[in-house]
Amino acid sequence: MKVPSNPEIDLSSVPALGDLEFTGVSERYRTMRLLQWSVVQAILSLAILSPVIVRRWVPDLELPEEFEIGIWWIPLAIQGALGGLWLFEEWLGFPRRGYVVRDRDITYRTGWFSRSTTTVPYGQVQHLELTQGLLSRLFGLKHLKLFTAGGSGNLRIAGLAEEDAEVLRSVLDSRTGNG
Amino acid sequence: MDFLEPRRQHPLGVLILSAQFLWRFSQQAWPILIGVTIGGNALRNALLAGAVFLVLTGVYALLYYLRFQYRVEGEVLIVEKGVVRRERLQVPFERIQSIQLFEGPIQQAFGLTGLKVDTAGSSGSELQLVAIRKEAADALQSLLRRQGRAGSKEFGDGNTGTDADAQPSESAGSPASDPPSETPLVSLTLTALLKVGLSQNHLRNAFAGFALLSYIIGNRPEAITSWLDGVPQLLAPLVGVVLLLLILPGILLFLMSGVFVSIFTAFLRYYRLRSSIGKDGLHAEMGLLRRNTFQVPFPRIHLTVWRSNWIRRRLGFETLEVRQAQAQSGTTAGVRVMLPAMEPEQRAIFEGAVYPDLSSDPLQQVRPVRRLRWLLWVVASVPAVLAWAFWGHWSAAIFNVTWLGFTGWTTARRFASLRMTVHKDTVVIEKGWVWRRRILLRMAQIQGIEWERMVLLERRSIGHLVFHTAAGARRFSYITRREGQALRDLTMNQHHAGSSRA
Repeated sequence: MKVPSNPEIDLSSVPALGDLEFTGVSERYRTMRLLQWSVVQAILSLAILSPVIVRRWVPDLELPEEFEIGIWWIPLAIQGALGGLWLFEEWLGFPRRGYVVRDRDITYRTGWFSRSTTTVPYGQVQHLELTQGLLSRLFGLKHLKLFTAGGSGNLRIAGLAEEDAEVLRSVLDSRTGNG
Repeated sequence: MDFLEPRRQHPLGVLILSAQFLWRFSQQAWPILIGVTIGGNALRNALLAGAVFLVLTGVYALLYYLRFQYRVEGEVLIVEKGVVRRERLQVPFERIQSIQLFEGPIQQAFGLTGLKVDTAGSSGSELQLVAIRKEAADALQSLLRRQGRAGSKEFGDGNTGTDADAQPSESAGSPASDPPSETPLVSLTLTALLKVGLSQNHLRNAFAGFALLSYIIGNRPEAITSWLDGVPQLLAPLVGVVLLLLILPGILLFLMSGVFVSIFTAFLRYYRLRSSIGKDGLHAEMGLLRRNTFQVPFPRIHLTVWRSNWIRRRLGFETLEVRQAQAQSGTTAGVRVMLPAMEPEQRAIFEGAVYPDLSSDPLQQVRPVRRLRWLLWVVASVPAVLAWAFWGHWSAAIFNVTWLGFTGWTTARRFASLRMTVHKDTVVIEKGWVWRRRILLRMAQIQGIEWERMVLLERRSIGHLVFHTAAGARRFSYITRREGQALRDLTMNQHHAGSSRA
């Protein structure tokens, strides 16, 4: 049996991720997310306020008794609180979105309330996927998804500017051996 | 034996396919069968419907059998199948994650074998040949395996990147004609099998059995009510008293049934278990009604878990669980091989073969922060708080003191059991006090590593380290940022070192 070489490891010389600068995603993605936020909030508010609006337009409409009490502001307040939390997360979390490309792995950082920093080595990437929805096309953005075996280490880097996404994809393609 | 010409399975496959389809269809079609019985002549209708159902299933199985062909072309296994919609599946050998042989009762009776090929593809696609002759299965298996291994060497860093950490002894590459020297591992005798059955989690099995029983009764509630209606009014209190007296024996019966279910399932799963470890993989076969044969090459082992409970440790047993890659969706867990009753020397043999670096000194050892212990205790003391709030009696104080003392002790033991040890190539995570788990994963096989924390923990520089492997994620929680990030950097370093070495 061959004995594998077993060099000593100097723990202090291991390259550290903590010292690196993260590259943020496109600023346009912030605008896109805020737009998404406002659309969702507007739709929810309209849905909650729909009885009030309907009554304003059709004054002599017979409505069930529950609508007369006027508790419509309670769901509105809940929606406002949750929407505020979401906005808060977007506001503080957006600057934290970013990635680092190293020689042999890529790291993605995201989230403010629940923070995560994930590193995926290129050797384990099975395939890459660039996606672009309707909205992201208007904003000139692309999302890059890295698939790894088993699916638990999949990584999605959302909101890259189109040209950055292509560059990143070609870099990863050459590194992951998909050429 | 070559497989160049398209082949059908063994004709008896029709029988097995019929059984499989019958089971699958009846799970979906039972409302129709019940619907038919409504109205007059229920029995005749039911029989008629059942007969039609049987015939249709048989015909479908026959068509399926006739239109199912497989062959090997170059290094690709090609299967054409489908009755209405034709499908052509091409499985390149190097994509094959695992090959599993299985023998159900029908196969066993006629000396046939089923062969299952798992590719862990994005659709979780797996392929089954339900009935082929044993020689054909052996030939096909060795063909798929030999060429698959040659293939993975050639395309070493393509899609087989997960296998980068091939064993040094294997990369030497033994010719396939060479009979591998196998070291026997567990072989269960009848007494050992009984011990395995007896040391299972009876309570869980009792609940499983109970669920099955109540499902059967629940489907026919009229059986009980009609029986109760038959009891004369005068005797009703007597029945009540008897039922009350039956509670204690009932609990006893419940526990006994748990033990019975444990032994029963142990026999079904592990009957005549034989396992051995060879130059390039783990080999095991087991089972009573359905005999499964596993052959797991070392590089395909993505996760190893040692489980034991208190009783098992008394017996000197541990359960070995070996996990292979799971499908992309994560809905189907990867192929899992369980070997109960591993003894310490057998564990040493296994770990020496699969994780040779464990014998050297660990590089680093990490424990969770002390805060976790208090958190565990706080969670465990919720009943005490509830008792204080709602009991309102002096006995609540006694309960609280004992409860807090007890949980304080158990959480201390649980906290002490949490430990992560990092060796040169392997991470060992140990968890649990009564139900102990020891999780082994090789750094070269890691699919990704994640440092995760809530904002409140970030304040205190605490976080969780998540290892993403092809067989699922495993985490170690509540460690300091300094240790966690050092460990992450070390893991990535060792990963790159390991994959460049292969």
